[in-house]
Amino acid sequence: MSGTKTFDEKDLAEIEKLTKKYPEKQAAVLPVLWYAQDKFGHVDPSVQKLVAETMDLPEAHVYGVVTFYTQFYEKPMGKHVLDVCTCLSCQVCGGYDILNYLEDKLGIMAGETTPDGEFSIQSVECLGACGYAPMLQVTNDKYVNYLTYEKIDKLIDDLKSGKQPGFESNKMPQHENGTE
Amino acid sequence: MPEIFIDHKRYEFEQPGKVLQFMLDNGMDLPFFCYHPSLSIPANCRQCIVKAGMPVFDRDRGTFKLDEKGERIIRFFPKLMTACSLDLADGMVVYTHHTDELVKQAQADNLEFILINHPLDCPICDQAGECPLQILTYKYGPEGSRFEHKKVHKPKAIQLGPRVILDAERCINCTRCVRFTDEISKTHQLTIISRGDKNYPMTANDQVFDDPYSLNTVDICPVGALTSADFRFKARVWEMNQTPGIDISNGKGCSTWVWTRDNLVMRITPRFNEAVNDHWMPDSGRLSYRTFNENRISKPWLRPDNKEQVRTTWNNAELTLREELDKVESSQILVIGSPHASVEDNYTFKKYFESLGVTDFYYLPHVVPGAGDDLLLSDDQAPNTLGVRALGYSEIAGDKLPKIVTSAKPKLVFILDDDILDRSDLTSSHLEDAFTVYWGTNHNGTSLAANLVIPITTAVEHAASYINVDGRIQRTVPAKETLYTNRRLNLEMSMGRLDHYGTKFDNWVTDANRIDCIPAWEFITRLNPGSDTFAWESSRQILAEIGGKLNIFRGVTYEQMDEENGIQLNLEQDSEVNTV
Ligand code: SF4
Ligand code: SF4
Ligand code: FES
Ligand code: FES
Repeated sequence: MSGTKTFDEKDLAEIEKLTKKYPEKQAAVLPVLWYAQDKFGHVDPSVQKLVAETMDLPEAHVYGVVTFYTQFYEKPMGKHVLDVCTCLSCQVCGGYDILNYLEDKLGIMAGETTPDGEFSIQSVECLGACGYAPMLQVTNDKYVNYLTYEKIDKLIDDLKSGKQPGFESNKMPQHENGTE
Repeated sequence: MPEIFIDHKRYEFEQPGKVLQFMLDNGMDLPFFCYHPSLSIPANCRQCIVKAGMPVFDRDRGTFKLDEKGERIIRFFPKLMTACSLDLADGMVVYTHHTDELVKQAQADNLEFILINHPLDCPICDQAGECPLQILTYKYGPEGSRFEHKKVHKPKAIQLGPRVILDAERCINCTRCVRFTDEISKTHQLTIISRGDKNYPMTANDQVFDDPYSLNTVDICPVGALTSADFRFKARVWEMNQTPGIDISNGKGCSTWVWTRDNLVMRITPRFNEAVNDHWMPDSGRLSYRTFNENRISKPWLRPDNKEQVRTTWNNAELTLREELDKVESSQILVIGSPHASVEDNYTFKKYFESLGVTDFYYLPHVVPGAGDDLLLSDDQAPNTLGVRALGYSEIAGDKLPKIVTSAKPKLVFILDDDILDRSDLTSSHLEDAFTVYWGTNHNGTSLAANLVIPITTAVEHAASYINVDGRIQRTVPAKETLYTNRRLNLEMSMGRLDHYGTKFDNWVTDANRIDCIPAWEFITRLNPGSDTFAWESSRQILAEIGGKLNIFRGVTYEQMDEENGIQLNLEQDSEVNTV
């Protein structure tokens, strides 16, 4: 990362638009942080400062918001961020096994990035897909459900070859016996 | 009048308000952590839960619905409610732990939850003894914990700022500290970071918690998570005596608690005073406690023949002073009062020299432009500027002082507790031809330049009043013994555990901590033995005398000041002011 980060004219106009949607500018911190993360790839302290200054909000507040959500990256991350859920439901269904498998496979620990900058792993809290536990989310986007070691192997290969995981229809028990 | 039933008892209320505050105001007990009367209400600790309900109203008949027994039918809220955020409502029924088992159980369970990851630090925790978590757990908590796993650990001893240290493990995330910086000091320096069992308060990435009011967060933190860098590990709460006082490091005169142990001031904390400082005080005022302990003038000092100052006896000081007075005319005496000294000291000082024929009295204001703010700091750095002015001393600017001294060519200069050499263009060479007598509490440039130094008591050693920048007169209570006072005999002084159960011979009693000094008025009494005019026995008597002479002070008593946390004076009213 080089140089100081700034928002250009277009960014400022966009942020202005986002902020206007809410009665109070504090409420716009989330969308503006998303915007900043899209632009810079992360919201490290310098971006947090930039956001706080642009929105004229206390830096501490922005910092608090960023640290609350694992979805905001406090430092530069790999190209693909694998958020493995280790919250209750996933945990009892083997979330930690999946995490450990992934850690061994990529040779990094949760919270780290592979030296080639391809992958980062995070251990995160419930992503609201407990029914499909254990699961993970790829770079704040696609969910990969009912994880097995084989699925992980495939996911990594796919991502390496530039293929994003596709939609997967998951049958719930009630679908199976036709009593929806 | 609207009514509310708490634990089957009927209460009336006039103002809208919250149930918890209403209960506290009416002397009822309910455990709580996050609520603070001067901050917003987040209701996040869940400790103040009660069972609450409203009577069912029959719209058709316009009356409350009654059951077979003729009692109002109550529809309870589906879940327990947090009393701190629950509005008082006409007819509301509230059950607390006194009457409801569920509430009692819920309070204990909530404490069990709060304590799940709490370290068992009490033996080494500064908060112990004044810790709401400790107290409430003792009163309302479960006997033990069912949690048998490894506790979550968080960082300890993080220096948040120059004056505040955080122990994240002890934090219960009540957000009081964050709300303080958001709502009171408005520096917005703190936030809660992360979430779940990992969260704790922090400053933004590279920021320092240097809020000039930062130590207030230490007071309101209901646990030992925030501690004062200065006071940390210095004294246990139960070893100290707590005496009401006022902050004399600033013109605002915040009400304070002075905490002493073995006659040393250990810390100063704010005391609630709605009219002045609410629950808060600036950090600078608290840290000024050092001036009461350190660098004190103990025993009179004399500089024979312009040599080094040496300690001398009170008798010798008295004799020397009399000799010097005998040598001069009243017109050769220059008297400088002090905005740092009390009303009583300034009054007696002036009265004494008036009796000798002196007519001009001066004081040097201590104002630092820009030092103040909108909260509790004033530009005025002295606690009694309006007091010394009301007593008829004339203000003199620091740059005019040398002129007065050179033109009047005084032979004898009396300076009351004020480091005027530090704040004016006056230098010690201006005073070379005069015999200078300094009546002061601490050694400083002015005391060093003096020929005779009379040690006098500070605001924590005497009872005396001070008028703050807003014209409010407030008084102090002796907190620290001098060589001549004794807390067992002076009923106004507080007695701590060590005083009650200790003896003079205990190894924690240090005689050197008691300073050899007396109030300025007492020295004047000593200079005039047998005189009726100067025969004061207490500062109370002096204030009564002032009240008889000056309209401003008419009817002002220590009792009223104590009861009302000071009295607002009408400083404009009096035209006789300058004719004491
Ligand atoms: S905060 Fe209170 S309960 Fe916790 S360790 Fe300190 S004194 Fe004990
Ligand atoms: S540090 Fe203290 S005041 Fe701040 S949130 Fe934690 S417990 Fe509350
Ligand atoms: S616990 Fe993993 S998605 Fe809910
Ligand atoms: S005091 Fe009511 S929820 Fe904390």
